Amino acid sequence: MSTKVKVKTISMRDAIIEALTEEMERDEKTVLFGEDVGKFGGINAVTKGLYDKFGGKRVFDTPIAETTIVGAALGMAITGLRPIPELQFGDFVGIAFDEVFNKLGKWRYMHGGQMEVPVTLRLPIGIAGGAGPEHSQSPQALFMHAPGVQIAIPSTPYDAKGLLKTAIRDNNAVLFFEHKLLYGMKGEVPEEEYLIPLGKADIKREGSDVTIIATALQVHTALDAAKTLAKEGIQVEVVDPRTLAPLDKETILGSVRKTGRVLIVHEEPKTGGCGAEIAAQISEEALFDLHAPIRRIGSPDVPIAQSIYLEQFYRPSEEQIIEVVRELLEY
Amino acid sequence: MAEIYKKDINLGDYSKEDLIKFYKEMVKIRKFDENLIRLMHEGKVSGFYHSGIGSEGLSVGSIVNNLRDEDYIFYNHRGCNQKIAKGVPLSKIYGDFLGTIEGTTKGLGAGIVHSADPSRGVLGQCGTIGSQFNIVVGTGYSTKLQNTDQVSVCYFGDGAASREPLHGSLNWAGLYKLPVIYICENNGYAISSTLEETHSVREHIADWAWGYGIPSCVVDGNDVLLMNKVVKEAIDRAQRGEGPTFIEAQTFRHRGHFEGDAYDYVDKAVINDWKENRDPIKNYKKLLLENEICTEKDLLSIDEQLDQEILEAIKVAEEAPLPDPSRIYQGLFA
Ligand SMILES: Cc1ncc(C[n+]2csc(CCOP(=O)(O)OP(=O)(O)O)c2C)c(N)n1
Repeated sequence: MSTKVKVKTISMRDAIIEALTEEMERDEKTVLFGEDVGKFGGINAVTKGLYDKFGGKRVFDTPIAETTIVGAALGMAITGLRPIPELQFGDFVGIAFDEVFNKLGKWRYMHGGQMEVPVTLRLPIGIAGGAGPEHSQSPQALFMHAPGVQIAIPSTPYDAKGLLKTAIRDNNAVLFFEHKLLYGMKGEVPEEEYLIPLGKADIKREGSDVTIIATALQVHTALDAAKTLAKEGIQVEVVDPRTLAPLDKETILGSVRKTGRVLIVHEEPKTGGCGAEIAAQISEEALFDLHAPIRRIGSPDVPIAQSIYLEQFYRPSEEQIIEVVRELLEY
Repeated sequence: MAEIYKKDINLGDYSKEDLIKFYKEMVKIRKFDENLIRLMHEGKVSGFYHSGIGSEGLSVGSIVNNLRDEDYIFYNHRGCNQKIAKGVPLSKIYGDFLGTIEGTTKGLGAGIVHSADPSRGVLGQCGTIGSQFNIVVGTGYSTKLQNTDQVSVCYFGDGAASREPLHGSLNWAGLYKLPVIYICENNGYAISSTLEETHSVREHIADWAWGYGIPSCVVDGNDVLLMNKVVKEAIDRAQRGEGPTFIEAQTFRHRGHFEGDAYDYVDKAVINDWKENRDPIKNYKKLLLENEICTEKDLLSIDEQLDQEILEAIKVAEEAPLPDPSRIYQGLFA
């Protein structure tokens, strides 16, 4: 960040609260709801203070009814509100699958393009604290297969704030995935208002030897690995797509063409994860720029154990990344 | 528990003009339907069509002279009736079936399932039947928050009533006192299964609403004037801030579930009874004639005028071009 911009260091949680606050102040049609998001401030404390500021009509607790939460958001959106529903855990999107897959993503199109669907659905994801197989998943890749919804997945406070503000203002549905272990992570955020467009990847670290494409928490694992590898003279470039739909193919392909070696890292099961799609797109368009096969590191294809000891083995590690980077360099 | 809604209807409460309007709208819907089926037989329209013949009284009674353009509806899969009663131009609906750019979806060819006319409050339909239960609490919340007096009406069948979202929806609507009117088009059948085979209720589907503290009733959906009254009361209740109403309107379908259905799972005598003795249009026509609201000749000239109107609408829809193939890439995002 340039020295001219005044910055502050805040957590991703606070960055999200700032984005919500600013957008709710900006547009009185914005409403926020979900289970325990009101007085209590959300189980991850991401809506703290909003109930006091905006009142119980614009910030309200709902029954435990995920289908209704997402369905109602659509109804509000097509009649003039700008709803920001929260699911307590992203895993619960399965309960509202029809509402997301068949409704949010298709309502506008299937009714001839006559309505706007400004819904921002917030979904906490990721392995954190022994939450078990139904409270630790990262289901974002499912929706890369669902035309009509956009997918944001920030890795820093800066990205979270800028992307969330854009998502709320966007007149189409955005699924906003937040990794639970990132809520407390701090980073620099400008004092002044800013927006980050959907569909613009960020090169989190420049390098010339290997491209690592990573999302959410794994951006940080990749950056740690890059730092370690730099000590041996290996220059890793870390690309954070920031949104999976739209996907910034240009930045990804640009980096791949520069380094000729690709590793994709995410916390989703490897099979059918976002890495599968990204790898397919790279092989379609840049196969002959590659010096080595595209590699992926994901979670194993099994449900996530409840055990706090075991769950660490589902999360890609710095060591795994270093090992695969070394293998890629042997070609 | 749900009450059986009964009211003495005094024809003197209505102007002659309004009484004729109810007739005209019902006949328009029936003729629309008959002509659409003709187009299907001529091979011009393909896909699934769920005919609304037999339940015109329910749609016209609930909508005409009750709902304004700004009031929202989510129609059901048998809902051309409701779209027409709400004022969507016939050529637009035919255009959707024919897949020409005259349709509300400008050539997407959405047919029965997905046409919309937001300018007239027609916000669409769910192909996954009953998913509108969730969406309608959103529109209800929206109008309440924006302090308007708009109401949101949700149409669904007795079969769709078994979907789980009905309960989430009733809970929200009751809890937040939303201006939502649930109208269950109870024709006794979900494709081939009967109400009794698929529902655990005390007596009526409307009894469920009672459990959520929502006023509810069972009404003869084939009586257009009774239907008009019960919905009017529900609208008044919503506009007084007293929240939702659940109306179970009893009717029947004259044809099978969709065109091409042999309809052999229902006794012929039962179907004939509804056709002969309980047809909403036939009975209403008799009422108008017996009370000398109009003459046979008046009604005949209305029929002829409608025939003309429908042929013209079909012509407009048919003559409009099919969309350019690039149409499939339009309208995904705003
Ligand atoms: C969620 C869902 N399940 C099943 C279907 C298939 N389906 C379409 S209409 C229908 C029967 C609906 O019956 P009802 O709601 O009583 O309406 P009716 O056809 O009798 O008017 C079924 C099972 C569907 N479209 N969506």
